[in-house]
Amino acid sequence: MNKKLHPEQVRQLLNRSLTQLEQPVLVRLRDAREQALARHAERVAAPAFAWAGNWLFAATHHKSRYFAAAALLAIAVFSGGAYWHHEHDVSEVDVAILTDELPIEVYVD
Amino acid sequence: MWIKTLCLALLLQGSMAAAAPLVPWAQLGPAKQEILQPLATQWDTLPPRLQKNLLHAAKRYPKLTPEEKRRFQDKLEKWSKLTPEQRKRAREKFQAFSKVPAAEREQVKRMMHEQDAKKAETAASGVPPSAPIK
Repeated sequence: MNKKLHPEQVRQLLNRSLTQLEQPVLVRLRDAREQALARHAERVAAPAFAWAGNWLFAATHHKSRYFAAAALLAIAVFSGGAYWHHEHDVSEVDVAILTDELPIEVYVD
Repeated sequence: MWIKTLCLALLLQGSMAAAAPLVPWAQLGPAKQEILQPLATQWDTLPPRLQKNLLHAAKRYPKLTPEEKRRFQDKLEKWSKLTPEQRKRAREKFQAFSKVPAAEREQVKRMMHEQDAKKAETAASGVPPSAPIK
């Protein structure tokens, strides 16, 4: 009785007992096994999908916000620079006209 | 998101162009008041945009030569009475004239001075200018 069983012998014993089981029992066993495997797969996949989804959403969301902010900043800087440059040019020309030897009438229609 | 950004940027740009608050004469400070003295009486009635341009121009005043300072103040009133469109065209003409070669520019200036001198002489003598020969 205390004889140590080899794994191969265990497998053979189980297979033999399997052939002796009735068909409805086998079907229920197979269903139970499939359900267990499906639950296991869900448990493993769910957190992975959730994490990937969150990460993707956050990254996309964050990225678009980041690009929008960067674009807004770039446009603001460019507009401000162009506006300042234009005003500076106008004022330079105004001073040049006002200090010119020729009277204003020469440049006015 | 992009449309919102674009709208915001356009709004910002528009507000920058429009942002030119009126500066009352009393708030100019003694230095600016001295530079813009010829406009003292009409300053408060000038359009904000012109006020802003003149204030920009006034910043350069301390660096001008005495002769340039005199011309600047002499022309201020006439300049402020032009319409924005006239000032714009004057700037364009001035910039175009600046691109003419220096020798030709000097020649034009000489001719203008001669013309002015003749007008002054005629006005002083009281004789009306002769009609051009056809």
